[in-house]
Amino acid sequence: MTLRSAPADGTDLAGGLARVLSDAWGTRVDVSNLAPSSAGARRRNVAFDATARTLPAMELVVTIVPAGAMGLNSVTAEAQMRRTARDHGVPVPEVIVSCEDESLLGGPFFISSRVAGETVPRRVLRLVHDAGTGDLLAGQLGTALARLHGIDPAEAPAGLIDPGLRPPSEAALEDLEGSMRDLGVLDRPALALGMKWLERRLPAAPQRLSVVHTDVRNGNLIVTTEGLAAILDWEGARRHGDPMEDLAWPALRMWRFREDHLEVGGFAAREPLVDAYRQAGGYFDEDRMEWWKVLGTLRWAVGLYAQATAHLSGTFPSIVMAASGRRVAEMEWDLLMLIRP
Amino acid sequence: MNLYPNAADLLQAIADLLDEEVMSAVPAELAHKVRVASNLARIVGREVELAGPAGESERQGLVSLLGRDGPLAELRAQLTARLREGDPALEREAWCLAVEVTRDELAVVKPGHDRWEGK
Repeated sequence: MTLRSAPADGTDLAGGLARVLSDAWGTRVDVSNLAPSSAGARRRNVAFDATARTLPAMELVVTIVPAGAMGLNSVTAEAQMRRTARDHGVPVPEVIVSCEDESLLGGPFFISSRVAGETVPRRVLRLVHDAGTGDLLAGQLGTALARLHGIDPAEAPAGLIDPGLRPPSEAALEDLEGSMRDLGVLDRPALALGMKWLERRLPAAPQRLSVVHTDVRNGNLIVTTEGLAAILDWEGARRHGDPMEDLAWPALRMWRFREDHLEVGGFAAREPLVDAYRQAGGYFDEDRMEWWKVLGTLRWAVGLYAQATAHLSGTFPSIVMAASGRRVAEMEWDLLMLIRP
Repeated sequence: MNLYPNAADLLQAIADLLDEEVMSAVPAELAHKVRVASNLARIVGREVELAGPAGESERQGLVSLLGRDGPLAELRAQLTARLREGDPALEREAWCLAVEVTRDELAVVKPGHDRWEGK
């Protein structure tokens, strides 16, 4: 086997992890079986085992974030948010250590316990299909989201992104308008129709603003035959948001992976998600969810367009970014179907 | 120009090379980019064959919607601007045209994506 465990920047990852954990636990820790995971384009996730003489062997994952990421939570805030969510019964892998010091592993990082199960969307769908657990999974997701949204925003960690008390729909639409203006997306009638639809139906602020995750979807879930084992990727969590944003996002077509007839992640219809959400105390608003589905689809179209622009302008030259531009039509189709007159 | 083999045939050859020979020879971290490149070669191959007629049908649609003639890019920008200003009378027809145009684009970039017409 070739030695691929050392990261590209030359830092010895296994050695760095051993030092971090030895310090944290106050005993010598050995690190082995490093296995980079393909999940997460921006963040680097590496599974590994940690053994200390005095403790049982532990299966862990380190998540290393590129330094200087904008508009996302610090690893400290993310780690604290994960703890808060766990305390409220949301399934989240337990965080062992978090650290902002970039010199140790080449970027801020946190180490969490490794939860067994599938995360790759198509594998999740196969597992759920074989086990017949789609409705169960959607229900567990609904319960988890209701618990998350039930958290008092004042209890969220101090450093968590906080958009404040402005109506989230208004802020989201204004941000989108700004991105489109900055990018100069002025020749796409489908997107213009979508923006008009959103403006006309702009919902008022929800009764109560909630802590929101903003990226709950097939791909950010760990799933086993028992259903939902964990919700991952809390980097975009916010103190104040519209809970319907979190229900709309996993229901978008792009997270169904060809199982288009099953609205929620390609594994279930909407009903089990919403029923469980209500039963666990969540307040469901159908119109508001539809609005966030349109917003999310349009925002994703603009994000893909922005990636292609980053390639063309030389800010981030990459064939992958260039290819994103050719995916805008998919989002425009989904958008047009959502706003059908 | 009478170039032989034509662009679509060459793009097909590039995509096949990437899939069948390059993919197995590159390190794992490059595999995704090679896959993306081969997919782009196939997309551009379809574009070469389909874009001409589809572009003209989009232009004709815009001409009849806006009631004036002009180059495609100009008409498209004009329709977008009118929709952004708010022109409810125009919206239903603009939606129908956008659906047709997007169908043509999907035939290039993601054949079959338009088979699902639900939400």
